[in-house]
Amino acid sequence: MTDRRPLPKVRYLLLHAYGRGGTIRTVMNQANSLVAAGWDVELVSAVRRRDDIQFPLDERVRVSTVVDLRDDAQAPPAGLVARWRDRRRSRLMEEPAQHIPAGEFGYRYFNRYIEDRLIAYLRTLTDGILVTTRPALNFLAAEHATSGVVRIAQEHMNHGTHKRDVQKRIRETYPTFAAVAVLTERDREEYEELLPGTRVVRIPNAVHSLDQAPADPRSKIAVAAGRLFPQKGFDMLIPAWAKLVETYPDWQLRIYGSGEKKAQLRALIEEHHLYNHVFLMGHTDRLDDELAKASFYVLSSRFEGLPMVMIEAMSHALPVVSFDCPTGPADVLTHGVDGLLVPPEDPDALADAMARLMADEKLRADMGTAAVLTAASYGPDAVHPRWESLFTELSGAGGPSGPSSPGGPGELPHEQRRPGGAAKGQHA
Amino acid sequence: MKPHAEIAEVWPRDGRIRLVGRIHGCPAGGTWRLVLTRRAHPDQRLDYPARTDGDRFESEWPVADLAASDYAAVEEWDIHLSDGEKELRAGRQLDDVRGKKKIFVYPEQRIDGSDVSVRPYYTIKDNLSLECRTGGAA
Repeated sequence: MTDRRPLPKVRYLLLHAYGRGGTIRTVMNQANSLVAAGWDVELVSAVRRRDDIQFPLDERVRVSTVVDLRDDAQAPPAGLVARWRDRRRSRLMEEPAQHIPAGEFGYRYFNRYIEDRLIAYLRTLTDGILVTTRPALNFLAAEHATSGVVRIAQEHMNHGTHKRDVQKRIRETYPTFAAVAVLTERDREEYEELLPGTRVVRIPNAVHSLDQAPADPRSKIAVAAGRLFPQKGFDMLIPAWAKLVETYPDWQLRIYGSGEKKAQLRALIEEHHLYNHVFLMGHTDRLDDELAKASFYVLSSRFEGLPMVMIEAMSHALPVVSFDCPTGPADVLTHGVDGLLVPPEDPDALADAMARLMADEKLRADMGTAAVLTAASYGPDAVHPRWESLFTELSGAGGPSGPSSPGGPGELPHEQRRPGGAAKGQHA
Repeated sequence: MKPHAEIAEVWPRDGRIRLVGRIHGCPAGGTWRLVLTRRAHPDQRLDYPARTDGDRFESEWPVADLAASDYAAVEEWDIHLSDGEKELRAGRQLDDVRGKKKIFVYPEQRIDGSDVSVRPYYTIKDNLSLECRTGGAA
């Protein structure tokens, strides 16, 4: 340690550090690992709507907020200037964002006021490393965090999934980043081609733990999880289950999560008379325990970045039945080994694959064992050192491998290609 | 666990409600009937034959039987299985699911020619009851 230069400060800019989404959870896992390894880490929340952080976070990780949106956050204005500021704030809060394209999926969370505050904040950064975690924040950092901070853009979505205006801004702004970090091999190839000369690295998100209770393959419960939202495709999963209920009447499908499509999904359950077999379980704080009760996991999404709950399920020895949607399932799963990949948005194929697992306890057990091995490459110990290497290298700080790491541009010292990678993603 | 009628399936369909379950915690022999008791007027009871096979039971009734002219906006009926001596409460006590009231949710059926809708539901104690709503949908 003594011959190293001090580690740079690492800041993560999140839209809402107080939320419950997968990105937030993943960043907190990373932050916990980094502070444990001696890094100085701060999470910066663009907005704040809640009092408390929703995931376990090491107390050494500092959390700060740019715009506090809690009801009691604004003291009543006292004095003329304060009243003028308050009116200006209210007016700008009503105006749509100017710098963020309307096609950004988080566009509705931004407005002129939040933009202005974020730009002002980004201009203050002169040192360390800044990791921005979604396109809107990446665009703002590209244009305004220009005073010396080393910038890394996280891109969690497949390029083709973005709207056109977002795609255009990505092409324009991402080349200014020291590195663009993506989640899957397919994304790495696509973004590298799209952004010639820009360093694109693949670092998957890590699951929070690999030390998980294994599921029992004898269980007759299938599990799915995610926000009740069109992206997750539960509207295809429910009709698929309807095809199986006569042959497998003693099986249950449990769908965890809450969201705006709950009433529609409930109506679909009623339409197919599945109210004794398919259950909307709501949000749970104990997803680990619930995953361990099932004997396989289903992913019915229309698209994903890298589906982390699926990998968590695999760490419980659950095999997976998944649509081969962009992106993630084909990166993670090997068809016929640790799960079954079926053509995207094809409920019949999904039903057939689920039936294959429901009919065969030994297949569930064998694939579950293979799933644990697959999940291991997404454990904190496999993933977090890759971030450390990237930070060390980009900031020129002395790390275990010195200022310039071996492996050359575009490849991290810890980059591991999985054996047999070429066979990934082939479905029958 | 007290003796009770453990519910496996609830089928509110085609103007009827059918229940399938198991008699749990006491001998299942003898003749059983399904008893509905109006909670606000326990002297009002409806009862129906239950078919048994070992400890398995099954029973059904038309929702039209639940029509009444003196309903408050919301009224409940509690469900029991009875052999004339014992009364077993119907419910779902043996599985792992907590918070059944919001998870095991069943369709509502309107009684023909009335504005009363009937829906089976789990109470916060995981017992099965019926909710009759007069007027708008539940």
